[in-house]
Amino acid sequence: MRFLLINHVQNAHQSLKNSRIRSALTMLGIAIGVASVTTILALSGGASKIVSDQVNSLGGNIAVIRPGVTDQSMININSQIQPNHNYATSTLTENDILSIKDTPHIQAVAPIMVLSGSIKADSMAPIGSSIVASTPQLADISDLKLSQGQFLDDSVNQNTAVIGTQLSINVFGTELSLGKTITIRGQSFVIIGVLKTTNNPINYNSIDFDNAVIINFAYGKTLNQKVTQIQQINIKADSITNLSQIIIDINKSLLKNHAGEKDFSVLTGDQIAQPTSQLFYAIAGAMTTIAAVSLVVGGIGIMNIMLVTVAERTREIGIRKALGASNSDIMSQFLIESLSLSIGGGVIGYIIGYLLAFGTSTFLTFDPIINWQIAVVAIIISAVMGTLFGLYPAIRAARKDPIESLHQYD
Amino acid sequence: MSETKIPPVIRLKDLKKRFGIGDAENFALNGIDLTIKKGEFVAIMGPSGCGKTTLLNILGLLDQSIDGDYELDGQPVVSISKRRQARIRSRQIGFIFQNFNLVSRLNVIENVALPLIYKGITRTKRLIIASDILRNFHLNEREYYMPHQLSGGQIQRVAIARALVNEPSIILADEPTGNLDSRSSHVIMEELSDLHKRGNTIIMVTHNPRLTTYASRVITMTDGKIETDTKTTILKRKTSKAKHSPNPRHHNKRASKSRGNKK
Ligand SMILES: Nc1ncnc2c1ncn2[C@@H]1O[C@H](COP(=O)(O)OP(=O)(O)OP(=O)(O)O)[C@@H](O)[C@H]1O
Ligand SMILES: [Mg+2]
Repeated sequence: MRFLLINHVQNAHQSLKNSRIRSALTMLGIAIGVASVTTILALSGGASKIVSDQVNSLGGNIAVIRPGVTDQSMININSQIQPNHNYATSTLTENDILSIKDTPHIQAVAPIMVLSGSIKADSMAPIGSSIVASTPQLADISDLKLSQGQFLDDSVNQNTAVIGTQLSINVFGTELSLGKTITIRGQSFVIIGVLKTTNNPINYNSIDFDNAVIINFAYGKTLNQKVTQIQQINIKADSITNLSQIIIDINKSLLKNHAGEKDFSVLTGDQIAQPTSQLFYAIAGAMTTIAAVSLVVGGIGIMNIMLVTVAERTREIGIRKALGASNSDIMSQFLIESLSLSIGGGVIGYIIGYLLAFGTSTFLTFDPIINWQIAVVAIIISAVMGTLFGLYPAIRAARKDPIESLHQYD
Repeated sequence: MSETKIPPVIRLKDLKKRFGIGDAENFALNGIDLTIKKGEFVAIMGPSGCGKTTLLNILGLLDQSIDGDYELDGQPVVSISKRRQARIRSRQIGFIFQNFNLVSRLNVIENVALPLIYKGITRTKRLIIASDILRNFHLNEREYYMPHQLSGGQIQRVAIARALVNEPSIILADEPTGNLDSRSSHVIMEELSDLHKRGNTIIMVTHNPRLTTYASRVITMTDGKIETDTKTTILKRKTSKAKHSPNPRHHNKRASKSRGNKK
């Protein structure tokens, strides 16, 4: 049986070699499909990795509390297409912040509220700039460094702000904006600090701090008609060992605050590290569609070619049966041929996918991830396509009547 | 006595093969009774269209839709599963088709090695065995030729080599010497004769009466029936022939039927 399998593989190899162009064209559909899947996975993996690296580099003792129940599956693009920036109403409240602050072993707490509205100084800030309201401890938790001035603290005036480098250049024309005045939602703020360039648009805060202005949390609430709209709460434990206890405690106290409704989630480690960029999801969505369409088209292509092959080889099937091939021998012969087509396409697609991913990543701030899981996914997808669309032709081949087949002339 | 204990290799009882239905219905085989013992060399003769190929196909388990009984090694073939039938074809039966039927996309040695695949023999071994048998047929220089690069006679020798490569105990040969000159024919016949001497059963269709000298038994067919059989007493045949028809070619159906019944 094992020899037979090897023989089928050799046979498939030969017959594909005999019709190179036909095989190549047939592989194309699957190749494009698998290439799209590979690109998506490599890039999303890369994006996740960059975030988890951040979390780890911050000491790994970070947790994030987000409103709503987050889907914890690794790749679930659909559930994440909605932007994280604008929750209709956040389920997190100021009361929750207080409860979290009271939890033992907490070193720092920073709620984040992203406000919409205009930012203006010498010129308008471009779309994509964000207004962030948070507390002084954000600098500690998210490791924000300043190139000039100071970060927000409890002693400074409420009408002060810290600005990201790129936003400073965009609105003032210079990085040196210390002491200048900026208008946010019609209110004037004095710049007391300029952040160091992070060049890190993908991070667990879903905020590009290079393009953000940070204001005091309490004042942010005032600006927002006294409504707190907490996008997430970052916390830092005093040590990694205490983090798991903290999470249990926070879960308990928030559940009590929310009257038993689990409308929040406490995330650590890799759970935080899901990519959140909108552009990313637009690309991923398009690629997924391309992948699905080309896989189906590719599969039908394989089925078509296999049906032609079976028809062409009717006589061969008759001969093989007369010489002792059983129906299942014939079936596996053709199934393995369609599998070689699809897996061949899959391998080509995997390579193209990575070329694409690395090509795209030159425009992004992170590199695609290379791991065995993506290779396995690519192989499985192509194997499933080969089996699914190769089965019918193979069954047809196996069912052929030997004598009728022998009468066919080729 | 011991012979009776071993069941005959092939036993046919009132075997019929019908093609078509309704008005188009016709019987390619119309009541064949035949017993072939192990080690017999049977030559089948008869005019074109009398059902010789149809009979061989049935004997070789390629055609299942038959009326009547067919027992192979004492076992009714209807009771043998498809998978086991394939196994029997692979291990016991060697087929030489009337039109040779080489696989056109495979070269000579691969064609010859084809039956060995289904016995589960490794590729290297297959090629060695195939190469050996091709040498017997003086084709070792053509091993890597494609079928379309061979002469008719060479194709035929390849087809025979392929049928014998599995060392089958039953060889079904449909005009194996059709395209060959008399010298080459005798080379092939010597080969078959050799296999016969080693105890294998051979059933060969031929149009050449001279080749029947190699056979231990000669059967002639007409219109889907056995007309004469050298085994079932030449005497009876002669008497029935004398009574009804002096010319065996125009032997009528009733005569052959009556003989079949007597058997
Ligand atoms: N698939 C089929 N459908 C209908 N009739 C068939 C079919 N195959 C064979 N026949 C008929 O069965 C009869 C016997 O055919 P067969 O091939 O057995 O003849 P044969 O004795 O081998 O002749 P030849 O010496 O020419 O090879 C013929 O009349 C043929 O027309
Ligand atoms: Mg014939």
